[in-house]
Amino acid sequence: MKVSLFITCLSDALFPPVGEAMVRLLARYGVTLEFPAVQTCCGQPAFNSGYWNEARETASTILAAFEDCDFVISPSGSCTSMIHHYPKLFENDPVMLGKAIKLQQKSYEFTQFLVQVLGVTDVGAKFPHKVTYHPSCHGSRLLGVKEEPLLLMEQVKGMELVPLPFANDCCGFGGTFAVKMSDISGAMVTEKTDHVLETEAEVLVGLDMACLMNIAGNLRYRNKPVRVMHLAELLYEGVKGA
Amino acid sequence: MAKSEQHQAWLDGLDAQSRAKQGGFIDGISAKLRRSRPVEPPAHPFRGAPDFWNAFEWPLEERITRFMDNFKAVGGHPVRLADMEAVKSFIAGKASEMSAKYIIRQNQPELNELGLEAALPDAKISVWNSDPNEHWKARAAEADFGVVVADYAAAYTGSITVLSSKDKGRSVSLLPTVLMAIIPAERLHTRLGQVLVNFDRIGRENLPAGIHFISGPSRSADIENDLTIGVHGPGVVYAIIVG
Amino acid sequence: MSGAAPAGGNTVKERADLALNNDFLRKAVRFTTERLRTGKEKAAEDHGNWDEWRERGRQIRLHTIAHLDYYLNLFANNARANGVHVHFAETAAEAVRISLDIAKHVEARSVVKSKSMVTEELHLNTALESIGVEAIETDLGEYIIQLAGETPSHIIIPAIHKNRYQIAELLSVDAGETLAPDTQILAGFVRRKLREKFLEADIGMTGCNFAIAETGSMVLFENEGNARMVTTVPKTQITLMGMERIIPSFADLEVMATLLPRSATGQKLTVYMSGISGPRRSADADGPEEMHIIIVDNGRSLQLGDPEFQELLNCIRCGACLNACPVYRHIGGHAYGGTYSGPIGAVLTPALKKNVAEWDDIANASSLCGACYEACPVKIPLHEMLVYLRRRKLEAGRGDKLEALGMKGFAKVMRSSKRFKAVLKLGQLGQKLVVRDGGISLKVGPLKGWNTYRVAPSLAGQSFREKWPTMEQEIRNGLKEMDPALKSRMEAIVRDRENGGGGKGGHGHHG
Repeated sequence: MKVSLFITCLSDALFPPVGEAMVRLLARYGVTLEFPAVQTCCGQPAFNSGYWNEARETASTILAAFEDCDFVISPSGSCTSMIHHYPKLFENDPVMLGKAIKLQQKSYEFTQFLVQVLGVTDVGAKFPHKVTYHPSCHGSRLLGVKEEPLLLMEQVKGMELVPLPFANDCCGFGGTFAVKMSDISGAMVTEKTDHVLETEAEVLVGLDMACLMNIAGNLRYRNKPVRVMHLAELLYEGVKGA
Repeated sequence: MAKSEQHQAWLDGLDAQSRAKQGGFIDGISAKLRRSRPVEPPAHPFRGAPDFWNAFEWPLEERITRFMDNFKAVGGHPVRLADMEAVKSFIAGKASEMSAKYIIRQNQPELNELGLEAALPDAKISVWNSDPNEHWKARAAEADFGVVVADYAAAYTGSITVLSSKDKGRSVSLLPTVLMAIIPAERLHTRLGQVLVNFDRIGRENLPAGIHFISGPSRSADIENDLTIGVHGPGVVYAIIVG
Repeated sequence: MSGAAPAGGNTVKERADLALNNDFLRKAVRFTTERLRTGKEKAAEDHGNWDEWRERGRQIRLHTIAHLDYYLNLFANNARANGVHVHFAETAAEAVRISLDIAKHVEARSVVKSKSMVTEELHLNTALESIGVEAIETDLGEYIIQLAGETPSHIIIPAIHKNRYQIAELLSVDAGETLAPDTQILAGFVRRKLREKFLEADIGMTGCNFAIAETGSMVLFENEGNARMVTTVPKTQITLMGMERIIPSFADLEVMATLLPRSATGQKLTVYMSGISGPRRSADADGPEEMHIIIVDNGRSLQLGDPEFQELLNCIRCGACLNACPVYRHIGGHAYGGTYSGPIGAVLTPALKKNVAEWDDIANASSLCGACYEACPVKIPLHEMLVYLRRRKLEAGRGDKLEALGMKGFAKVMRSSKRFKAVLKLGQLGQKLVVRDGGISLKVGPLKGWNTYRVAPSLAGQSFREKWPTMEQEIRNGLKEMDPALKSRMEAIVRDRENGGGGKGGHGHHG
């Protein structure tokens, strides 16, 4: 069984601990991740802005990087859902389309892989903190990752999970949206952090570093000391501490 | 009122234009859909509600309870009475309680037999369309009470259905301040679909001009999302289930 | 359009900025959309099997639109058999011309209207006024914004952006006396005032929620009773209907009646649902003597046969996507600058126009979060259509040159991991000048918008790919044997996938 890690450009460059947590957590189950170094970005920034030629160039790199593995796992529901767009992106290219469908079928977001493929919900973690959870839009709505993170979090010992008001509302990231429509995006992220602060949680956890970067950036701008973590990091920290 | 010949000629001209245009308009759609226009009805495998829904039915007592709960929840006044005698006293009682002077009712056999006129000698009770020279919309507009017998009702949505005809004015359930709708229990179904299916069954030729589902008092939430009752239609609606 | 929208400006961004600085507007819109959204979610949950109903609704709409030529033709023939004068209008101008022609011939002095988005599209009120016919909106919210000289900012709650004090002021001028800012008092005044208007009016004008092909009936959903007034009292009725409003039968209406009110306001059914099949019968004592239905294209057929946009015609105009949309909540309806606002407006407004030059930056006003798709009772993938619109704008040569250069650069870097690595290295070195405590607060260039609300993170000292060789070594050294049960689970999934059993992975919603 060859399981490859699709780290995503964002976590590669800015948040390597997320990838490391995934690698070390899965190693405990005997799953040794491969890291095809030729991988880059899923192409979503270009795709969403309408630059499909550019998105296809980038997607070709990803298709090549993961051609010969059985599973691809990534710490981002958004980047995984971008892979689900590849068949549309290559609809007029039969050769690439075949590859795109294959990749779509074997791509999983991190918690999907743990719960659906490995059948694991209790990783044996302990995390004695008050935590709130932001479900990212692409992961929850487009990929349908709703139950998986909750099942995993329920099993974490000592953790108090407080519901985030209006949790399903977008944090306002939206890629280039945050730059092009910066004031609307700013209003959205401020509303999101208001809700986070209402919960009085010590930690905000999520499944997508882009959204978490956005929320964390606003929390820091407002000088609010809430710790922001990817669920993989939380679980791995909880396993180490257990 | 007869239309002037000139007006009729103009309408005929419009209809001729419309018929002439129809073919091209519809063919334009076919062209966009990249095929010729179907002559046979297309197979429609998803017609109507899902099967599990069509199998769903409440027993009569539950239909009555659910209807009343739903009607109450939207600000209507549901009541259940044993027979038409009780209906007469109920309406008469409400009329004197609210000092209703003008009442308009449909020209329905159940209401003709009700004897409301005898029970309310001081009120002016008009019977819809009973005199061709009367201005009936004005009579309905000035009425305190409108009294109708429902043609159907649906418990799941708490809806009353009234159909228009020569003897059943649309205005009677619309213009008066208070609507009294009598629902014979056997006309109360579970689902909306059980009522709607009748219109497909009887077909276009037999449909009345107006089919109206009424599910409570007129309301609006247009000012600061603050619920207001009785904006244009009746603000007080009694649903009187008989049986 | 009669009167300018309150939020001026040429672009969505400019209008949005005005809205964002209007605290009352934001609060009002947020409050109401939240109530509607919560109501919808509760109604869907109470009803149960919501996704099955959505799927059924979608299938009915897909089927009807795929055979629109057949069903529209059938509808027109049946409506005519019911005694309706049916008209076909390819353009807005044609629909207006027909409406005015009717108004002139029946010598109308006033028209009472129930809510109709199509007439907003046509700017019909202005046209009627131009020939001296008074057009009166009778839906409470529409009446209010008509007095204010504005346009609806929400498809279901047109005056969502006004508070009771502003409304009291408007209505007091109308009444010629001071009315207290009390909802009951204000609505009571409108009831009395409009009663007279209904009784005087020569024409009643409506939109159309659904048109039933097999019986030639038109169906209206409403709560106030004004649409019933408009279709009962005046002598002439004119209904303006988008050509895609068709459903085949009354049986199909049950599905629409299940989806529409719950999605719009969380109601089990609107207070009134009326099916009108032609003018009054000869023996009837009320209802219109003459009835016209104007079937309007006005850009709708541009969507037909277009695989990326045909589903747009499935829309049942419930407004659920507006209430779910986090962008709409912050900027309100007028910022969209068209008749239709929110996510549906962002797609529909440009889609109804053939001329791409008229596409402004409307499609950019979305974070593509998909809340609209999730809320849509007929599952229109609006979030995907927004991306298609962005792409088509570029294909039409109307992209931003600087952005195009940027994207070319992006693709060049991301096509090759070597370049990506080199750029990372450069960044790690370059950022040393601006990073403070692991963050960047500088407000220049592309960071300006971002850093007005946030601190940007800095690149990691070592990227994941730089750390990987060491990490991999450690893991391989301490490798644990995989549990055979786990291994066989994984093998089963791969087998299943190869046999086509896993569908499209069985773990995603994308097609």
